[in-house]
Amino acid sequence: MWPFIARSLEVATILLIAAIGELLNQRSGVINVGIEGLMLLGAAAGFITASTWGLIPAFIIGMIIGGLFGLIHAILSTSLKVNQVVSGMGIWLFAMGFVTYWADRYSGPLPRGVVSPRIYELSPMFFIALIIVVVIWFVLSKTHLGLKIKSVGENPFAAEVSGVKVIRTRYLCTVIGGVLAGLAGAFLSTTYLGAWSHLPTKGLGWIAFALVMFSLWRPMILLGGALTFGFIWQFAISPETIYAGIPAPLPILRMLPFIATIAVLVIISREKFRKKWALSKPEALGEPYIKE
Amino acid sequence: MISLEALKLKLERIPVVSGGQAVRISLLSLVFSFIIFSIFLSIEGANPIDAYTNIFSFAFDSKLGLPTTLHRGLFLLFSTLAFIVPYSARLWNVGMEGQFYLGTIGAFAVAYSLPTLHPALLIPLMLLSGALFGAGYGALAGYLRGKLNVNEVVGCLMLNNIAFWLVYLLTVGGPWAGIAESTSRPLPPNAHAPIIFYTPFTSYLAVGIAIVLYIFLSKSVLGYKIRVLGNSPTAAQHVGINAPRTYILVMTIGGAIAGLSGYHMWAGDPAFLMIPRPEAYKAIGDLTYWGLIIGLVCLLNPVAAIPTSVFIGSIMVGSTVLVRRLRLPFGLDVLFLGLVSITFAAFQFFYMYRIRRMK
Amino acid sequence: MVSTYLILKYRVVVDDSIRKGMGYSGMDGKVEGGETILEVRGLTKIYPGGVVALDDVDLEFKSGEIHAILGENGAGKTTLMNILYGVLQPDRGEIYLYGRKVRFRSPLDAINMGIGMVHQQRRLIPAHTVLENIILGHPKAGRILDFKKMRREVEELCRKYGFRIDLDARVWQLSAGEQQLVEIIRALYRGAKILILDEPTSVLTPLETEAFLNSLKTMSKQDIALVPFVTHKLPEVFAISDRVTILRRGKVVKRLETKDATMKALAEYMVGKEVLFALSKPKVNIGGEILKVENLSAMNDKGLPAIKDVSFTIREGEIFGIAGVSGNGQQELAEVLAGLRRAETGRIIFMGKDITNTPVLERLKMGIGYIPSERLGVGVIGVFSLVENILMSLYFDKEFVSRGLLNYKKIREYAEKVISEFEVVAPSIYTKAAHLSGGNLQRLILSRVIPRTSKLLIANLPTVGLDVAATEYVRKRLLDCKEKGMGVLLISDDLDEVLQLSDRVAPIYEGRFVSILPAEQAKKEVIGAMMTGAYSGR
Repeated sequence: MWPFIARSLEVATILLIAAIGELLNQRSGVINVGIEGLMLLGAAAGFITASTWGLIPAFIIGMIIGGLFGLIHAILSTSLKVNQVVSGMGIWLFAMGFVTYWADRYSGPLPRGVVSPRIYELSPMFFIALIIVVVIWFVLSKTHLGLKIKSVGENPFAAEVSGVKVIRTRYLCTVIGGVLAGLAGAFLSTTYLGAWSHLPTKGLGWIAFALVMFSLWRPMILLGGALTFGFIWQFAISPETIYAGIPAPLPILRMLPFIATIAVLVIISREKFRKKWALSKPEALGEPYIKE
Repeated sequence: MISLEALKLKLERIPVVSGGQAVRISLLSLVFSFIIFSIFLSIEGANPIDAYTNIFSFAFDSKLGLPTTLHRGLFLLFSTLAFIVPYSARLWNVGMEGQFYLGTIGAFAVAYSLPTLHPALLIPLMLLSGALFGAGYGALAGYLRGKLNVNEVVGCLMLNNIAFWLVYLLTVGGPWAGIAESTSRPLPPNAHAPIIFYTPFTSYLAVGIAIVLYIFLSKSVLGYKIRVLGNSPTAAQHVGINAPRTYILVMTIGGAIAGLSGYHMWAGDPAFLMIPRPEAYKAIGDLTYWGLIIGLVCLLNPVAAIPTSVFIGSIMVGSTVLVRRLRLPFGLDVLFLGLVSITFAAFQFFYMYRIRRMK
Repeated sequence: MVSTYLILKYRVVVDDSIRKGMGYSGMDGKVEGGETILEVRGLTKIYPGGVVALDDVDLEFKSGEIHAILGENGAGKTTLMNILYGVLQPDRGEIYLYGRKVRFRSPLDAINMGIGMVHQQRRLIPAHTVLENIILGHPKAGRILDFKKMRREVEELCRKYGFRIDLDARVWQLSAGEQQLVEIIRALYRGAKILILDEPTSVLTPLETEAFLNSLKTMSKQDIALVPFVTHKLPEVFAISDRVTILRRGKVVKRLETKDATMKALAEYMVGKEVLFALSKPKVNIGGEILKVENLSAMNDKGLPAIKDVSFTIREGEIFGIAGVSGNGQQELAEVLAGLRRAETGRIIFMGKDITNTPVLERLKMGIGYIPSERLGVGVIGVFSLVENILMSLYFDKEFVSRGLLNYKKIREYAEKVISEFEVVAPSIYTKAAHLSGGNLQRLILSRVIPRTSKLLIANLPTVGLDVAATEYVRKRLLDCKEKGMGVLLISDDLDEVLQLSDRVAPIYEGRFVSILPAEQAKKEVIGAMMTGAYSGR
């Protein structure tokens, strides 16, 4: 039972790190649908680095690559005013192609010895993820920087006249979002999977994206969502560890996380929640900032 | 950050970009991606000019790549059209992958149930079924968005993943499994698409649909209503256009078109004629996202999408030659496509702004 | 790189010395009255396209006095304010602050030098609390927010000037007047010694206005050095200003001490000619009942009641005018009548039929026309051509449609006809609407809606933001509709307009009709008082 929980927490870790990054940049008004792509790039970068240089460099490189493409997204969507969805999708499609070219030749497990240290089978990255969430929660609710970030996402014009540098803030948040997505990807490939396969993210990035939406952009709710979906995902992959002899075939189980996501999205779209959701949503989310 | 003012340049907003400008910008972005790709080619030790010549000569050689170029190109056309219709109402149909899978299921279900039916009856039935299954899946996404206000990008992506596993359920060790256990049974011969001039008849169907859509969007009442809704939901509401119903409608149409591509893909290429292994059919499913890029580049013009799709198809097919013939590393062809995507996205900037020298 | 750093450093030095005072008390303590604090000389601004917004303007603002800037829409007031606040750069001319020449490259420069601005459009974050809005971006806020300390400081500030506001309320919950107060407090908390106020009373009720003007007087007598005050409302000029300067078409046309001015004189300077008052209202026989509204109630977007128990009728050939300050339910009322908003209770009876729940399309087909208050994006679509816009009111008419396809020949002919009839000026009927000016846009909207309206026209703020010529045109058209026997519902925040055009007038306040009076019996002061709460019985 415990091994199952440990693995679920690792999936939750991936979701959490990627989603908290996206939450941060969405709070500043930038939507990044390329999060799956950034995770892929981080996964590839991390895996290739780990094969030669070990885990810590892998995470660092993963973060750098993620940050780099986060920067590209920031340039395209914030400075060049390209539609944020188009920019994100472009990066995702690019990532699919690039990662195949770059990393598929390394298919297979990591070399021996490159293994994550584990505390009772749980990688310490889980605790790092928790720390990241707490830090971001603290920044957003208790610091001046957090207030500035939120104001940029609500009304960049009002923020600008108060002296907040809108463009710089959006760049900062988007790059950090990218860094975290890259880290999540690196963790996925090096630690959780420990081996490379073609496009290993398998839709997790999209679930992380959906998580941000139904967390009402609050880090604590996001934590709960990540834990829940971590369990659902892991259950879908290896249900027999909880309940031997599950009658449903593998594909149906694998659909579960996605069906669950739709179910949650439908629930929160009901009249009751819709108002609360609309109030929590950063008002300027997805809109390019064009100085007057 | 480099300030534009420091460089004595000024950004000027273009209110509406003309067709001619769009063509020029797209060509420019292609050239740009070719140049970037040349860098990768050089790194791998290949001569870029050599490579490109190989790509296009292969792609358009009637004895080699042409049939596949046309087949894949028109497959992309289906995806593009499936994206264009909803996007005319500003809905992001990124669910073409799932609608394509559902269309596959629909078509194959008919074929396996009625394998001895005469082709003249069987094939249209398969097409109809594929379109209906795709339409239903599209309507589902449209309903999520129109009536329940669920963000359609996330909704579609979820549905895509679910659909992938649906196909898996049926083929891998499932009721449709073939001898190989991870692919499906072959399609009955009556289901094979007739080939006309190097390409299955469904390619012509796609072109026909493109022309019909062009007329539909620009000259019909319904097309007009869709465009009003896409440009300003508020204005649309003020003149009596029903948004939820229209959203569901455009997603249904988009889904139907993507559903048709299911038959076209598998029954139209003699190399398949069945549902292949999951990695293979997923790779094809991933191609549907090109519909987004091509649709935006063509400024939502269905007729312009025809040559553009074929061109991208030629790149897709031609670049496999890099791996096979020129012995370049695996995945380089996919990389090229990735580069083209991101460059197209970046060049969207030029659809909106001009850079002018400041006096 | 090094030189940039030096320039930045130098600017900081200059700022500091300006602030530390050069002999002016500046930050702390009282300022001696009568000194020139802010001065502009030869200020000129020309927009791309050749529009001259400001032409060689000289102005002086002295401490301890309220100097009002008076002018019509388009006279250059907002441009002047934007330059003083660093939002725009002048093409020519200089600005002197405490005697030193300065340049504001951005609002941040202006803020740092003690200038605060309250814009016409709110620059607040609706989702955040009042306190959060006030402290946003404050240089002394530090990294980690010490809410307690800042709260105390803000409360102290409010006490000093007599402001009353709930610091923990979310801004979207506040009224327009309260939101404006938040902006003022924010500016003062940032250390503003100079407050620029752009049309501050345009969204206030007279009660709020009075309180506001009083606090302005308090501020100007205390250590706020001066308050340039921008307005087009004559009564306010007399209420509080000491001096007034009138701008017209970007030029200063007159400077006066307020005590030497008269209403008539000011109006003439503002407009440049004898103010037109009488539009001859055609004598029309009022006919039968077209619209009957019974006990109508509806909510606004926030779920609060916007219209409460409203009842009235409109007859053929009659213009029914609703007078009120924007935000008292007029918008919601228009939307309910047009079919865009649900009625909670009550009935709407049109030509004898109950249409309370009839969808928009049906109402359009029945002969109801709606001119929305927002033009671009609602009344017209910018990327559509003139023809395609006019099509918005035609597409459901079988005359222009055959077998599901649009009959472009007929549509074109119709479009050409109405475009010329309504004098929409554009190179061709295929010009994109986004290229039209404000007045032309409104003509386009009229050309789309009016010919397709047969019974009832709802005109929501039809002349807002238009210049004099366009305004006259729109009013003439409304009278035309009346002559043709249509019923017209006119919603306007311009009391003169309502009184001029309407046959019956209903002042609205907080969602209720205070009364319904025939125009002859409606005295301007009485209606004005009614629409601002004096008669609400609270």
